[in-house]
Amino acid sequence: MTSLDVCRRVAISEVTSPACHFTLMDDRHSIVRLLKVAWLSCRPRPCAKQLRGSLRMHACTAHLTLVLVSAVLSTMVEASEEFPTPLPSEPIPSVATLPEHYPATWAFLDYSGNRFELRNVGSDAHEVKGELPARDATAALLIANHRQEIYLADTVWSRTNYGTRTDFIDIYDPKTLNVTGEIVLPTPRGLMSPREGTFTFTDSQRMALVFNFTPASSITVVDLVGRKVLGKIDVPGCSLAYPTGERGFTTLCQSGTAMTVQLDAHGKPVARSESVVFNAVDTDPLLTASALIGKIRYFPTMLGHVRPIDFGPNEAKILPEWSLVTPEDASEHWAPGGWQVSATDDRLLYVLMHPDAREGSQKIPSPEVWVFDVTAQKRVARVRLVRPGVSVAVTPAPEPMLLVQTQTGLDVYNASSGAWLRTLALPGLNTRMLIYPLH
Amino acid sequence: MTPKRSMVENEPSQRKAVDDFDRVTERLLRGFASRTSRRSMLSVIGAFLAGGSAFPLLPVARASEGSPPEIKDDPPQTTGNPQDPGDPSTCEYWRYCGMNGSLCTCYGGTTSTCPPGTEMSQVTWIGTCHNPADNRDYIISYNDCCGGVAGGRCQCERNEGDRGVVRPTKDNEIVWCFGTQSQSYTCTTAIILGTAAASKR
Repeated sequence: MTSLDVCRRVAISEVTSPACHFTLMDDRHSIVRLLKVAWLSCRPRPCAKQLRGSLRMHACTAHLTLVLVSAVLSTMVEASEEFPTPLPSEPIPSVATLPEHYPATWAFLDYSGNRFELRNVGSDAHEVKGELPARDATAALLIANHRQEIYLADTVWSRTNYGTRTDFIDIYDPKTLNVTGEIVLPTPRGLMSPREGTFTFTDSQRMALVFNFTPASSITVVDLVGRKVLGKIDVPGCSLAYPTGERGFTTLCQSGTAMTVQLDAHGKPVARSESVVFNAVDTDPLLTASALIGKIRYFPTMLGHVRPIDFGPNEAKILPEWSLVTPEDASEHWAPGGWQVSATDDRLLYVLMHPDAREGSQKIPSPEVWVFDVTAQKRVARVRLVRPGVSVAVTPAPEPMLLVQTQTGLDVYNASSGAWLRTLALPGLNTRMLIYPLH
Repeated sequence: MTPKRSMVENEPSQRKAVDDFDRVTERLLRGFASRTSRRSMLSVIGAFLAGGSAFPLLPVARASEGSPPEIKDDPPQTTGNPQDPGDPSTCEYWRYCGMNGSLCTCYGGTTSTCPPGTEMSQVTWIGTCHNPADNRDYIISYNDCCGGVAGGRCQCERNEGDRGVVRPTKDNEIVWCFGTQSQSYTCTTAIILGTAAASKR
């Protein structure tokens, strides 16, 4: 081959036929050869007379570009050789489903006005398993374990921020997270930061109770099986509802008492009873974030006591108060702090605690979780958190995990040892949350 | 695997195409050279260089010069009254001792007025806050503004005097939008109702 032949091929034929580069791609040595070709086109000496100036430069540029493209494409071709079988075609449409019974490592996280997120908190993959929408920041969730249904009490306005107000309960299928029913509530729900006692079961989960605050207080009784509202019971001067006895509820009153209402099968009140004054509402009120162990709820108080109330009988039984803090702890002014301040693994009581308590500090994030044996009324463990916690919950046995919502995410600990396990990011969370473990 | 033939080893038909291309290109270049003097070429190149140097002086180019301006926090607000001290757009402002919510001063309202497009609730919770300027205690009414857009700006939570929902008038977690057309929460004001008796603190 003469130098002129080389020049012509280099400068013209390859440029006019760039496809040749791609036909070379499966040749292992093609890139080297193309680089040689490009170098020839850029080299002035052999072609100085035949191809001058701009023409030679065009050929040079074109070659270098094509060599680069060829190199990239040849890499892709070589990659495909490693996977001789293409990916299978996938069916459309396709929607994920969930198991009938959720694993104990899953929990619903209430993003307060955004969504309820179902997450596997026991996985380092931080899996989101699904989501339920919350239209209002005050939406509340009930997860039935007697039937395959999840209930979400919510409020909307026909024009988002004004218009006709509708309060309702959406019924979801836990396997599909599709809405399977709806119950419209005639009385406006109490709109307040999500907390216990605003939406709860009674009558072995056949009925639901919705706390209304207009600002008159009342309770709406709902038949969840018949999917209809049974009635409304006024509870003047009292707030929230805790399931009591076989079919009834107890509400906490401004006077410092608790009033229990028993219902008949149609949701009508058949008996009322009021306890003695036990709640120092103005000086050391119960924090309405209790832990249920058996039939007894343990309510921490603002100053660091705990008040057990037995909701098993048809009339709530107020049990003696005991202290969460020893005299030594008291000297450092330890007290509960956070939003969902207490939790349980169905055996022990876990409470978020902070030192240097003062007026107004009852909702600040706390640096420790104290664990109590409620029978012995003694602290059995003290978990120093990796960062202060706002809300706390414990997943069920056999391997309970302590879930602590912080201002940036969710820290997961081994509830038995207190060892930190993982931290989950909570994108979109801008406030405190309620955590719903699946007990 | 059999390697494919390289295009460098050309067929005779391609060689003819190469010759044709060679000829056409040579003709074009020779024609261009015969019609163009070196001086005119220099003048064209000079004009491009001079014109190009003027582009950075145009306003459109100057806007993108240098690093972008820093995004700063909103500047502090003031009541303009030395007896009412502090920045009402921050949680530390003295009237917010029992606050829990979004500050209306960040939504177009003030400490005592709701933003345009909202409606002030007549029913609310109250607190008692100490004014460091005149050393008096004041009863503060935290009236919610309702029906607007809840944007989540300027969240403030201090909770002094908060006693929970069992004592509703001392609970700052309730959406206090009552008697308003909409109960959709927007923000919270902090209105002086009057001075409190000394025994209140």
